Amino acid sequence: MSAGRAAPPAVASRATAGESNLGKAYDVRLMRRLARFVWPHWRLLVVSALLIPLTIALDLAQPYVVKIAIVDHIAKGDGDGLGVLALVFLGLVAAQSVSAYVEQWAIQLLGQRSMHDLRLAIYDHVLGRRAAFFDRMPVGRLMTRMTNDIESLNEMFAAGVVTLFADAIKMIAIACIMFSIDWELTLVTFVTLPLLVLLVNYARNAMRTSFRVIRVRLAAMNAFVQEHLLGIKVVQIFRREEAAAREYDMINAGHRDAYLVSIRADAAMYALVEAIGILAIALVAWWAARDLGVSGDTIATVGIVVVFIEYINKFFIPVRDLSAKYAVMQGAMAATERIVELLDTEEPDAPPGQARPSARAQGALAQGERAAVAFDRVEFAYGDEPVLRGVSFEIPRGKTVAIVGATGSGKSTLIKLLTRLYEIGDGAITIDGADIRSLPPADLRRRVTVVSQDAALFAGTVFDNIALGAVASGRSVTRDEVARAASRVGLDRLLARRAEGLDAPVGDRGSAFSAGERQLLVFARALVRNPEILVLDEATAHVDPEAEELIERGVDELMRGRTTLVIAHRLSTIRHADQIVVLDRGRVVERGTHDELVAKGGAYAQLERTFHRSGN
Amino acid sequence: MLVLTNVLFVGIPVTTGLIVDALQGGRPDEVPRLAALMVAFAAGTAITRILSRVWIFNAARAAEYDLRGDLFRHLLRLDLPWYRAHPTGDVMSRLTNDVQTVRAMWGAGILNVINTLVAFVTVIAMMVRVDPWLTLWACLPYPTIAVLGRIFGKRVYKTSQAVQAQLGALSNEIQEDLTSIQAIKSYGLEGVRKERFRVSSQKLLEKNMALTRVRGQLGPAFAALGALSSIVVLWVGGRAVMRGDIALGQLVEMSGYLARLVWPTLALGWMLSLLQRGRASWNRLETLFAERPTVTDGDGGRLDATELRGGVEVRDLKVALGGRTILDGVSFTVPAGTTTAIVGRTGSGKSTLVEAICRLVDIPPGTVFLDGRDVTSLTLRDLRQAIGYAPQEAFLFSTTIADNVAFGYGAGSSIPRARAEELERVTGSLAPHLGIPAFTEGAPDPRITAAAEAAGLTRDLAAMPDHYATVVGERGITLSGGQRQRVALARAIASDPRLLILDDSLSSVDAETEKVILERLQQVLAGRTALLISHRVAAVKNAHQIVVLDEGKVAETGTHAQLLARGGVYAELYRTQLAAQAAGLPAEAAS
Repeated sequence: MSAGRAAPPAVASRATAGESNLGKAYDVRLMRRLARFVWPHWRLLVVSALLIPLTIALDLAQPYVVKIAIVDHIAKGDGDGLGVLALVFLGLVAAQSVSAYVEQWAIQLLGQRSMHDLRLAIYDHVLGRRAAFFDRMPVGRLMTRMTNDIESLNEMFAAGVVTLFADAIKMIAIACIMFSIDWELTLVTFVTLPLLVLLVNYARNAMRTSFRVIRVRLAAMNAFVQEHLLGIKVVQIFRREEAAAREYDMINAGHRDAYLVSIRADAAMYALVEAIGILAIALVAWWAARDLGVSGDTIATVGIVVVFIEYINKFFIPVRDLSAKYAVMQGAMAATERIVELLDTEEPDAPPGQARPSARAQGALAQGERAAVAFDRVEFAYGDEPVLRGVSFEIPRGKTVAIVGATGSGKSTLIKLLTRLYEIGDGAITIDGADIRSLPPADLRRRVTVVSQDAALFAGTVFDNIALGAVASGRSVTRDEVARAASRVGLDRLLARRAEGLDAPVGDRGSAFSAGERQLLVFARALVRNPEILVLDEATAHVDPEAEELIERGVDELMRGRTTLVIAHRLSTIRHADQIVVLDRGRVVERGTHDELVAKGGAYAQLERTFHRSGN
Repeated sequence: MLVLTNVLFVGIPVTTGLIVDALQGGRPDEVPRLAALMVAFAAGTAITRILSRVWIFNAARAAEYDLRGDLFRHLLRLDLPWYRAHPTGDVMSRLTNDVQTVRAMWGAGILNVINTLVAFVTVIAMMVRVDPWLTLWACLPYPTIAVLGRIFGKRVYKTSQAVQAQLGALSNEIQEDLTSIQAIKSYGLEGVRKERFRVSSQKLLEKNMALTRVRGQLGPAFAALGALSSIVVLWVGGRAVMRGDIALGQLVEMSGYLARLVWPTLALGWMLSLLQRGRASWNRLETLFAERPTVTDGDGGRLDATELRGGVEVRDLKVALGGRTILDGVSFTVPAGTTTAIVGRTGSGKSTLVEAICRLVDIPPGTVFLDGRDVTSLTLRDLRQAIGYAPQEAFLFSTTIADNVAFGYGAGSSIPRARAEELERVTGSLAPHLGIPAFTEGAPDPRITAAAEAAGLTRDLAAMPDHYATVVGERGITLSGGQRQRVALARAIASDPRLLILDDSLSSVDAETEKVILERLQQVLAGRTALLISHRVAAVKNAHQIVVLDEGKVAETGTHAQLLARGGVYAELYRTQLAAQAAGLPAEAAS
């Protein structure tokens, strides 16, 4: 039992951090970042942009047809053209429907494609971070960026920015048409505009404040719930069910009440915009009546009033729905901000570093041997805590070096440094004399294969999982080859119990497989990979005796003739190693062959005696 | 209120019609009075509309509040095996996404249903008043709504379910990749995994576009319906005007009424998708509510805490989880006031055994007894109150250390005062509900200080900025594994329990500290019944009895001396550890 495994994440993330910053509904810097993902699909934007005026024109033409029908036909008692006008109206409606549909389709496709690209970019970026990044970043948070946050951005395309744009064009067009019909009445209509501006301004400010409060409270509430679900065992043991529920009520009430202001602002906006619209209509009617007293042209006036009523209605509807769109935009901007923040994180994986000229410690090598891998005064620290302090040793070509040491002595860190999952603090690691920082990371990781105790399995079949070993080298693997690898490590005997054999499905991180099966599967994967240098982190978990024996054989098969660094937990592995390096608190305290170290009578010798006595 | 809103709202087309009539009839002097009336109607509508919207949306939020509260209470009652089978992420998604969708259905959905119904009824009534025949003609296209609703309802439900499913699949893939990131990097699998992700993301795009297409057809289809009605009125009504059957003003009024129906009709289409999505979410929540805890209160009467002595007997206990046998006929007795150590390899069933005693997992009746009483006959509250338990994973809440320890005796708050205040500061003056009791202020309870002392925390606390009020967690202080374990230990002993269960509570504590704590623990354990799980011989050799578990069975039982003399599993463990300690090597290497 290692110390690390006993230590769970102490607490769930309190998501309030980083969620409290004020979200604007529009931010030029963020929009510019987003634009990069939208731009490649500009053709769809053009389609949509061309259709928007068309849809608007088709929509706005409808009241005009009504006006012609009333003024030129019905009012004059001329029924001949009425049928034609009805058909024209019908045609306009149909054309508008089609145009609106295509416009929406194009804009949605634009949104979906851009979001798809953005999602891939985030995925790409995240996968390109170094291992330390993942130690810090909870998986849940990264998942939220790639799913929920992207969905909020998607909402923006569905209901937000593009519609806002279309609405603006539509409102300008309506104003122009009204002007062309009767500029006087238009001015009368827009006397109400200052009222509208005041109202929109009030609602926007109220909502902005409200949304900030909502976000903070929502994050706090979700963090509270998550923590209690993760710590359900503690909640139940210490009978905190009721106390926790009461506390949750408080947070929950805070969340509920955070909406009060925004609900009020939304209602006020919706109802008052409508009222202002009617006020405008009343003003127009009143003005027209006054005019009529002067000119006396009844028919023309009635027609104009009717058409103005229609246009005023159409003008105010988008304004009325502004608050809903504002909420969507706000959410999308907040999501964009979080995504951009993630995309801006540094810590690239294995950056081209400056390889230092290495003074290779050759002393311990016999004549004619060549160090395949050499650690030269390697230093490493997690933050301020030194983990490795001047570790030096070599692995000659085709030989096996076993690392022995207590939990926390830095064994696993050595592996992570060798594959550049972590970056060396000081000193150097060389392969065939070349500093690993001078090798392309892909090459380095192709030459060095790590077989670790947490056997990472992916959804697919056993065959798929083994064949993954050959992926990096770009060659395809035959079924024969996979079957051979499986039988060499002894996996075939365990697989024989499953009807599907190599095609047995591996679901949910391999939970249907025993620890032994998982270990052997990973051995087979490593064999297919056929690495130049093998790094083996022996599992500490106990498995049944049969699997134990199979694993031992598998390990032998894997190590045969290969340059191997092994973090050993089994006596047989340790004893067969060409050299043993004893690590203690980040320092090499002893090294030599089994016989040498036993003769030396140090720390290793003592351990060895225990093994003998217990008959292991 | 909504009805009133809509009734008032109908006044507007009526006055509009009157205005048009007045204009046409050469009575422009009537217009100012009518216009004023219209403005009055508008003002009235605005007031009632604001009130009704505020009322309905607040009611929906209040309902959401209740739903969340019920859901959270329900979740806290579900048992540990259920939680092990259901990832936290899934449950969280119910509490966030699904609750939101249901709330949207209640708020906006109900508002629109009522609005639409009232709007249709009032508008049609007004239209009938003007001209019944024309009304009939105008309403001709509307029955098609039912057909459209049926067709689109099903399609929206199906396509949005497909989107959700694909989103779930994508999330799983991301999770798989992120948790296997080291393997992906070491094996150079970035390319294949990326391609896989691209394919999944592309699939999501396609599912989303399918939903978009359905929704894209929904809007125009309902809008066209309204327009069709307008044409009919224009055509039929126009002829009627020409025949002199109705006045031009009446026709304009009629068109005005129809215009009032355009939005409710459109909203109807939009609502349809809202209600369908709400229904799907509601179904998922109902499934969750239908989950029942397997571990429930027993009905064998109360357990008197003052009379409790803490003797435990385990009789032929068998536990299987997820089809796997974990404990296979375990029997042993812990006399009251003695200490029993449980040792065994990883996976031998030690933790499950103590979880069974606390009834965190379901056990059959007649297998575990506390002071001779079957634990399944006790209420969970009584049983757990009798036990001080430090679980293997030292889970702490992100509140102060004092609060975390106080949880042990049923006090403490998981929202530290400092965080409540910070929340209030960030959210401005709008936070009247976050006044959390100031438990962490002032001098801590002596029970807390005593427990912290016994767990060897005092020195660590002195080095922390806020001592007992130090907040643990992401934005507080990050405790080391050993410190966390000791806080959990203090929590377990804070209630002065008769039965103390420590599951590998010092595994992350360094050897020196362990020695000090073990010495102090001897005093704490004196007179108490205790169950200790440990991998370390030093921690268990002073126990009155040692139970060695192997593959779910009791391999041997006895005192340290007896077991050593027996030369079995325990003796072997002892020898290898002793030597390993001398050599400064890990126990694992030797076992």
